Amino acid sequence: MKLEIKELSKSYNQSIVLEDINFTFEEGKIYGLIGRNGAGKTTLFNCLNEDIETDSGEFYLEDEYGKNKLQTKDIGYVISTPIVPEFLTAKEFLTFFLEINSDNDKINKSIDEYFELVGIEEKDQEKLLKEYSHGMKNKIQILINIIANPKVILLDEPLTSLDIIIQDEMKKLLKSLKKDHIIIFSTHILELALDLCDSIVILNHHKLELVEKNNLNTKKYKDKIIESLKDEQHV
Amino acid sequence: MFNCLKMTLKIDIAYAINAFLYTLRTLPIFKDLLTEDIYKSKSIKNILTILSLFLSILRLLTFRFFYFLLIYELSKFLSPKSISETFIHLYFIFTIIGLFINNGLLNTSIKKYLSIILFNMNAKKYLQSNLLLRLFLSFILNSIFFILFSKFLNLSYLICLLLVLFSLTARIIGESLNIMYYKKFNYIWYNNTSLYLLVLGVFLGLTLLPLIKITTSNSIIILSTIISLPLSIISLIYLNKINDYRLIFKRLNNKNTVMNKENAKAYSRQAMFEVKEKDKNISAKKLKGKKGYDLFNTIFFERHKEILSRSSKNYALVIGIIYIVIVSLVLSNIVNIEKSISNFLLNRIGWFVIIMYFINRGAIITQAMFFNCDHSMLTYNFYKEPKVLLNLFKKRLVTLIKVNLLPAIVIAFGNTILLSIVTDATILEYLTSSMFIIVLSIFFSVHYLVIYYLLQPFNKDMEIKKPSYSIVSLITYIASYKISGITTSTITFSIIGSILTIIYMVVALILVYKKAPQTFKLN
Repeated sequence: MKLEIKELSKSYNQSIVLEDINFTFEEGKIYGLIGRNGAGKTTLFNCLNEDIETDSGEFYLEDEYGKNKLQTKDIGYVISTPIVPEFLTAKEFLTFFLEINSDNDKINKSIDEYFELVGIEEKDQEKLLKEYSHGMKNKIQILINIIANPKVILLDEPLTSLDIIIQDEMKKLLKSLKKDHIIIFSTHILELALDLCDSIVILNHHKLELVEKNNLNTKKYKDKIIESLKDEQHV
Repeated sequence: MFNCLKMTLKIDIAYAINAFLYTLRTLPIFKDLLTEDIYKSKSIKNILTILSLFLSILRLLTFRFFYFLLIYELSKFLSPKSISETFIHLYFIFTIIGLFINNGLLNTSIKKYLSIILFNMNAKKYLQSNLLLRLFLSFILNSIFFILFSKFLNLSYLICLLLVLFSLTARIIGESLNIMYYKKFNYIWYNNTSLYLLVLGVFLGLTLLPLIKITTSNSIIILSTIISLPLSIISLIYLNKINDYRLIFKRLNNKNTVMNKENAKAYSRQAMFEVKEKDKNISAKKLKGKKGYDLFNTIFFERHKEILSRSSKNYALVIGIIYIVIVSLVLSNIVNIEKSISNFLLNRIGWFVIIMYFINRGAIITQAMFFNCDHSMLTYNFYKEPKVLLNLFKKRLVTLIKVNLLPAIVIAFGNTILLSIVTDATILEYLTSSMFIIVLSIFFSVHYLVIYYLLQPFNKDMEIKKPSYSIVSLITYIASYKISGITTSTITFSIIGSILTIIYMVVALILVYKKAPQTFKLN
């Protein structure tokens, strides 16, 4: 399975954010999307998720059945500030979600199994989501995306503010998901990207660029990425 | 579609019940009584579900009753001799206004965000089922109150039935026209302010026709309903053909930023305090010679012109226009309202309490103060020094009073002109009524700033964390409303009112000076 971005451009007023991007992401990999603050990582995700209109560009998903335009249902978007229905308990949220999406044949686990997957204990399941910590809300957000089982998962700095235990759990979970998905993980923490991701893509000069690792060791690879980012004229 | 509606209602009820229990748990008496386990108690939730359904029905009935009552009262006011005809006329025009303004399919709300985005519901089914529910409720509620009011006002059953039908067809046509406009121009028509004001102005103007003895005839109602029937069917077909409701919602949601932050409700509130682009640069002239907290305060108020001076000028302008219209009506003798105005100004001046309550910008300005300034500044210790706090309080109070004074001066001036035209008021009446309006304006400015400094109820998400603030706000509203009903001479009311108000202000200011350094802090 491949996600193809073709001639994507996006500007805000006079300011160009993304310019004529052509790039292909492949299944089975976690891509680390790196860029400096304001480089346009979130804009790229918003374009893919159809949250904002693009100036130009098309997105295609190619699998064993052929090449088709990317649809909203193909994407799971985990944003950095999790949005959850604050006045529902985690259990209610999940129950309603499963009931609403019962026609999705990829849903094959029970509520308890899903909670177990992200390590949410029984005592927390009956708590209001409003009373959840940021990290716990993030778990719920990721869980919902796992249940819906989209082909492409976009993660916009989801681990940045989590404690190290939850971060570790989430990393393991993402690694377990990559087999059948295309995962693009945006972050500005290079160490996290190097630790979790299989490939590093930088958003540089309004374009996406794969930073080849070749035979470099981690230190040299890191230096190469930093050099590429320094090269960028920061907006 | 039925399943979709069932799920929406289930989520709504669960959400409302949990929110109610959560609020209950923030109150001191219930804090220890209700533990976190309350959310899993099935028996309590079952009882609350029944109660919630009952209250929802009651709320719907009450709102619709007040809508009909409002039309009745307006009819009585506009044309006491032909209330029934005016009632029909107003209902008809209001339905047409609703056709343009009610926008069930395109408005963005947290509820929609939850259903369409978070719960991944089929947007088309969700929106269609909700439209169907609204139409059904509209049919039932309008039928009930038309039966009630038709007996009371001696209305023709046929016309009532046609109006009930017209309400449904107009709603469907309105929804499809709004979507059609959005698809063509990529924005909702009423975001074009001049177009919005034009349409609203024209139709609100039509509601005044009974003043010159013109009302909508029965034949127009019959014809409109007949024409609207096939149009509504075409509209339904059009609405059913649209398949990208989810995309439309996402785009609109992004534009309106209903839910782009952790707490949607807070975010929509926060959006109100956003500094406009044109106010970001302040001219050097305005800042010349200012330093320290004086400069700090000036920058804040200059950056918030949109909700401060600009909004105050707009209020003053609208109020000015209203007075010009009233004065013109009185002078042209089109309607005989001299007696009512004279009685209102000489014996019912209490009404200005609720009017001043509504036009005062104190509540929103204090929220902007917190969100765009104090919420970050209060993290610094130097900002919490009593001297700094009180110094800034003084400067803010002066600016706040100035901002709110402009509409008050227009009202006082308008009242003076009206008094001189419709009454033989004495100089004392002129003076006391004007003074009362000015004192009221100052009172509300002081009141909102004082309760902000004494109770500081907000957290970083602009949620109100202290029930005491909500209680004080509610009491302020109830008191203003109750005082408005008092009938007594302007002189007595103004003098007693002014004295009491001044006493309150003195006490409140003393309290701020004594207590604010302890109470004005982050939650």
